[in-house]
Amino acid sequence: MSAFEILVWILRLAFLGLLYLFLAVLARGLLRDLRATTARTTRAPGMLVVMAAPPGVPAVGATMPLETITTLGRDADNVIVVDDQFASTHHARLTFRGRVWYLEDLGSTNGTRLNGRPVEGAVAVGFGDEIAVGETRFRLEPASA
Amino acid sequence: MIRPSLAGIHPRPRGRETTLLALAAAALLTGWVSLATTQAGRLSAGDPHLLVIYLVAAAVIHVLFVVTGRRTDQVLFPAVVLLGGISLLFMARLPPSLVTQDAGPAGILTLAPLQLVWLVLSLSTIGGLAILVRNDTWLRNYKYSWAAAGVTLLVLVFLFGDEVNGVRLTLRVGPLAGQPSELLKIILVVFLAGYLAENRALLAATSLRVGPLDLPPLAYLLPMLAMWGIALAVVVVQRDLGAALLFFAVFLGLLYVATQRTSFVALGLLLAAVGSVFLYAVEPTVQVRVAIWLDPFAQALGSGFQIVRGLYAFGRGGLLGTGLGAGLPSPDGTLAVPALATDYVFAGVAEELGAAGAIALIGLYLVIAERGLRIAARGADDFRALLAAGLTLVLVLQAALIMAGDLKLVPLTGVTLPFVAYGGSSLLGSGICVGLLMALSDAGVEAPAPPQALTRGERLRARGRGVAGRFERAVR
Repeated sequence: MSAFEILVWILRLAFLGLLYLFLAVLARGLLRDLRATTARTTRAPGMLVVMAAPPGVPAVGATMPLETITTLGRDADNVIVVDDQFASTHHARLTFRGRVWYLEDLGSTNGTRLNGRPVEGAVAVGFGDEIAVGETRFRLEPASA
Repeated sequence: MIRPSLAGIHPRPRGRETTLLALAAAALLTGWVSLATTQAGRLSAGDPHLLVIYLVAAAVIHVLFVVTGRRTDQVLFPAVVLLGGISLLFMARLPPSLVTQDAGPAGILTLAPLQLVWLVLSLSTIGGLAILVRNDTWLRNYKYSWAAAGVTLLVLVFLFGDEVNGVRLTLRVGPLAGQPSELLKIILVVFLAGYLAENRALLAATSLRVGPLDLPPLAYLLPMLAMWGIALAVVVVQRDLGAALLFFAVFLGLLYVATQRTSFVALGLLLAAVGSVFLYAVEPTVQVRVAIWLDPFAQALGSGFQIVRGLYAFGRGGLLGTGLGAGLPSPDGTLAVPALATDYVFAGVAEELGAAGAIALIGLYLVIAERGLRIAARGADDFRALLAAGLTLVLVLQAALIMAGDLKLVPLTGVTLPFVAYGGSSLLGSGICVGLLMALSDAGVEAPAPPQALTRGERLRARGRGVAGRFERAVR
């Protein structure tokens, strides 16, 4: 085999090798994604971050994991207890239906607001949206952390 | 709802995409040196400006992705860049005179430069859609308008289309010629995603019992029959077996994704079987296709010539291939396999890169499938999920149909191999698919539509204004 033939062989194998290196790096990334997904689905699909709370409870910046049906209000039987004088006993409800979070007001005295607008009926909430119950404000975030 | 503004754009590093693109570039440059060395007979890089332009274009789009900072998928783009690069290598290796086109001031362009132009346009389409599309209402709310546009396109091809190789596919507008069926695939997916997302619950829950069969309710059966009719019409009028097969397969796939009912798929397959027998009886083209699929060697120098030559090409390739540029030469411009740049590009790649290269190519399409279906699974609502699933099906089924056709696993149909086969319409169509997939992969940009608490009047008003909006309301 001449030197040139060896050179051509090296180049050909290098090209094929690099193609498979690309696929191998890709496959490793895909597997990592897959593991991350399975780990994530065991947790609730979202959380609330406290933006402002006049009574100081819960603390600003605190995060609260959500359940598929999460009720908010002053009563102790709510999933998230909002200790706010402007909050009703059973104030609002967050539900995860299909793929989307929805927010409903439960006939509270002072109303629930989504990004500053009063909530009527069930409205879809996107990640990053702000929910206000009384004077307490939350932001919906994906439960990634 | 978060409104995007120029001030709100923050660059965001895309490490995985950078790594993968660097790897793809290294692979393609090595491939180019391998090709030039084989052709020159000594170590040479040849004239790499085509590949360099291509890689620079990919890098520019990557930088734009980073600067605009959207959290879109980081795997699809490098995979497409590698597929397109392999295509460019292969087109540069084929005789340049295979395709020539007068490009006015730029002079006469040959095969590889033409493919480069289309590849760069395709990558730009991906970049543009992935960066700019933040909202899907223009697709969601106007599904009947899209369907009407699609049918109009089909009728235009029926009436004014040019026949190339006995297939009526090409529509000519001035100097530009395109194959609208590439666009039609995407329009079909948009319409089906919209239709199925709206009627999903009804389709999945209700049923009509006829004997042992559990059929969907009659009113919802009609679109299925209409689809079947359109697929048959496409074959009869356009003699485009591939597009018809693809349309119907994508339709069945989406129907299953939306309803999870195997009875629908069984019914669809039954319809397809009846349609196939009918077409075999009336269409001589179909009879020829099936005959040369079953035994190409009976007509080895006639209608089976292409298949026989394709099989020989796979055989010559063996495990590791002959090497880029070392495949069977093409004396006086006639190719070893007819349509080597288009329908038989997979056979060509398999000859020069061998089974190893062919499997790598299949691997890249599998990656696209995984990413697309993953985007679908994470879609914010039914419409986005179905749209993503449909776009993925279009790309992957097309690749599977033509690769299997080249290998004589199924009768050969004239669909294109996405991002690899020569041809502008196909490259642009595939680019739109991947671009929309990337745009859909950025979850949480805009909250999905409100739930179905709207009254009928509100729902109709929500469909939009203007001519298209009035049309949508009229169709309802």
